[in-house]
Amino acid sequence: MGRRRRLVDPAAEAGAGALPKVIAALSRSLPAGPSPEIFRRAKFDRPEAPALWQLLFRLLSPRSADGASASLALEAQVCLVKSALRSQGYPRLVLAQLPEDGSRGSRELLLALSWLLARGPLPEQLLAQAHVQLGDEIPVCECEALASPGPRVPHVEAEGPVDIRCVQWLMGRLRFRWRCLIASQQEQCTLLSKIHLYTRGCHSDQRLGHLSVAETEMLRDPEGGQQGCGGGVGQSLDLAYPKSLHSGQVPEASGMMCGWCACGWVSAHPPGSLLEMQPSLCTSCALGCFAFQLLRRLERENTGLEAALEWRRGELVFWRWMDTVLGACPPEAPAAATQPTFLPRIAERGLGRLELAARELRALQEELCEATGRRRAAWEARVGGQGRGPQWSSARQALQKAVEQELAALRWAWEQDRGPARPHGPHRLVRCEDEAPGGQHLRAAEVIQALRSQEACLEAALRRLQGQCRQELARLAGALPGLIWILPPRC
Amino acid sequence: MSIVTVQLGQCGNQIGFEVFDTLFSDSHSSQGLCSKRENEAYRASCKERFFNEEENGVPIARAVLVDMEPKVINQTLSKAAQSGRWKYGQHAYFCQKQGSGNNWAYGYSVHGPRHEESIMNLIQKEVEKCDSLSGFFIIMSMAGGTGSGIGAFVTQNLQDQYAHSLKMNQIIWPYGTGEVIVQNYNSILTLSHLYRSSDALLVHENDAVHKICAKLMNIKQISFSDINQVLAHQLGSVFQPVYCAEGSFHYRRNPLGDLMENLVPHPEFKMLGVRNIPQMSENSLAYSTFTWAGLLKHLRQMLISHAKMEEGIDWQVRPPLSGLPPLGKMPLNKELHFNTSIANLVILRGKDVQSADLEGFKDPALYTSWLHPIHALNVWKTQRAFSKYEKSASLVSNSQFLVKPLDMIVGKAWNMFASKAYLHQYTKFGIEEEDFLDSFTLLEQVVASYYNL
Repeated sequence: MGRRRRLVDPAAEAGAGALPKVIAALSRSLPAGPSPEIFRRAKFDRPEAPALWQLLFRLLSPRSADGASASLALEAQVCLVKSALRSQGYPRLVLAQLPEDGSRGSRELLLALSWLLARGPLPEQLLAQAHVQLGDEIPVCECEALASPGPRVPHVEAEGPVDIRCVQWLMGRLRFRWRCLIASQQEQCTLLSKIHLYTRGCHSDQRLGHLSVAETEMLRDPEGGQQGCGGGVGQSLDLAYPKSLHSGQVPEASGMMCGWCACGWVSAHPPGSLLEMQPSLCTSCALGCFAFQLLRRLERENTGLEAALEWRRGELVFWRWMDTVLGACPPEAPAAATQPTFLPRIAERGLGRLELAARELRALQEELCEATGRRRAAWEARVGGQGRGPQWSSARQALQKAVEQELAALRWAWEQDRGPARPHGPHRLVRCEDEAPGGQHLRAAEVIQALRSQEACLEAALRRLQGQCRQELARLAGALPGLIWILPPRC
Repeated sequence: MSIVTVQLGQCGNQIGFEVFDTLFSDSHSSQGLCSKRENEAYRASCKERFFNEEENGVPIARAVLVDMEPKVINQTLSKAAQSGRWKYGQHAYFCQKQGSGNNWAYGYSVHGPRHEESIMNLIQKEVEKCDSLSGFFIIMSMAGGTGSGIGAFVTQNLQDQYAHSLKMNQIIWPYGTGEVIVQNYNSILTLSHLYRSSDALLVHENDAVHKICAKLMNIKQISFSDINQVLAHQLGSVFQPVYCAEGSFHYRRNPLGDLMENLVPHPEFKMLGVRNIPQMSENSLAYSTFTWAGLLKHLRQMLISHAKMEEGIDWQVRPPLSGLPPLGKMPLNKELHFNTSIANLVILRGKDVQSADLEGFKDPALYTSWLHPIHALNVWKTQRAFSKYEKSASLVSNSQFLVKPLDMIVGKAWNMFASKAYLHQYTKFGIEEEDFLDSFTLLEQVVASYYNL
């Protein structure tokens, strides 16, 4: 007995008790994490799939989703998860073939989850996103955005020639989205400005002087409140609500009892005062409510962070277990052969005529193919294989490198201009009256100026490149006399 | 997000008034067939877009009125104020003491630059009153003289000054048998200038609306007011709030942006047509019932057969069999029977709207080969009924609707140009033959692009 016990792998023995703990920690560090029991059953492909679809949906859908997306039907969530995984390059085809109603495939989903976990520090990224932000944060430099490569764009080769109008259409959509984004940002700025203006004098910290959006939101709605809403200003903000924040005159007693401490000091808050948001509470209880809400949020964040730490410590056990899960999968079926085409039933009589017609069409098609083949060869010879082939891909790579070098040079020039010890990363936005001395504060005017000079550099580069393009086009146009080139309308 | 409307000339001001009136009446109507809370959300959304809050409660339209004569502007301002329900801003208009002859070139080259600062200041003031600007909606006629010229100039200025904001021009296509002899010149100049500076051109044809008044509304003596009301109804059915998505309970915040992104992202294809059914006189409305299936069937046939209204539709026109090019894809002088679409937006409002089935619009044969129906068709559905119609379906379409009328106008204008008729009116004020040639080139390009779908 004892000898047998000694032969057992100590790591596995430790794993027997550690695995559920590690999975539980993982589950706590993820939003909407399912129970460890679901993970265990998923290894055996038990029907626990919906919970795992929903988890993957939460992990893969963009940050701002939250309320709106939770109400999405399971089918829609399944669809989104499949396309998100595909665009990130998930290799297993079995997942794409799972049924749309989300009822099956828990083992596959478990594999997908572990694939995502293996690619990057997922729990940490999610926790950073859900971080409780009290201030209105804005980035002052682009270092972070430029450093991270962003989602990997899958390199898709077009199956055949793509109509350029389709490409122009898509470019146009992108431009419209860009303009709508700018409009939304301007709206956000207007609202921030109003909130900062109206809540002057409300903050306990004298240096700040006014509330941020997150603080205002917590005061207004202590029950709900959003998770880390530092960036999500526009969403639940009612445009009329800054008006209700304007601090008012001295309140008079209303004779009501406070809903919390039952004191008789509830004032008739003047219309438009900050505390009107909590009409049934006295001043101290309203502020206490706010503090309590903040405390709860911080505690929740703490739990998440501790869970992430525990997960990291016991990760190895999880990966060993995932190997067994992978082993339990059936070997992947080869790529589905082309489906046998369904031929419609043809009436007996028509068969003869149909045969004739088919033969004629085939002959015609061969003729056309030959003719177009000859034409195409001649054209390719003239054009020199532009857009395809090894010459083109190497030319493209050279172009990319040149662009990267130019960008790097510009960035270096900007770094020099900024001067030493320039602050990086997000800063809290605060509106102040007086000309306080610098110190660790950064003035908006300076940041704006730096950004403007960067913009000017980039615009100059763009104009130079456009000029080069135009010269090249003019040269090409001149090379073919007698041909009139009509350029498309400037967009 | 808010839309600032610029009403230009007699046409623009009269239509603009009807549009605001329709929007206001509809948003305050009690026959919305929805819950009180939903009605309030609808009203609030409509108000945010088109009206400004005032202390004493009367909403002010977010609009700037421009005309060279005072008569129409005064009429419009007083009509709005009289109703007591909404009004225009007290100083939100610009006019001169007297007009100056129906001359496009004069409007573009003289009036425009001379009054540029005043007009742009007015617009700037209106923009500052908005918490967030979705874009501009400019109402003008295409073939008028001064109004169209100024309109082209103002749109260009908006492009320069508000480069990131969206601009939609509502243009009125003149009667085929119009009175102004140079209307074709004016039309091509207006269109070519707008094509360069505007994002979308929403076109209404006078002939079509006139027929709707005559045949569907049974109006004996058709006045401009009747025509404008029909027009306003069609525009209202497009611009009133719609839900974001199936099953969502929030109204779309950026209607102009969503519309343009789905319909006019390609710089060569900016012309949009609107169809709305059912449309009938109020008396008949009480006795009619409709089904979504019936409405959508008619709407689809209207789309593919170039019909302007639900009467007299040519049911013989059918989409081509897959794999073969559409029958209409012939050289320019052949008849275009089948209307190929690039992109369509279908807006449904009213009872049981969730049950409406749009499979008929998803047929790839309706669309051009380079855009799949998944991207080309967009559907917006809202439970809340519009303007006393229990069920109402609108179609905003980027298709070959307008290519034949455009081709005709360009042809007629070219004939006049070739014989140099009436050109001195334009060259006198700085519109040279070069400008005409540029306009012809651009519009021929547009016509060719649409024919080659």
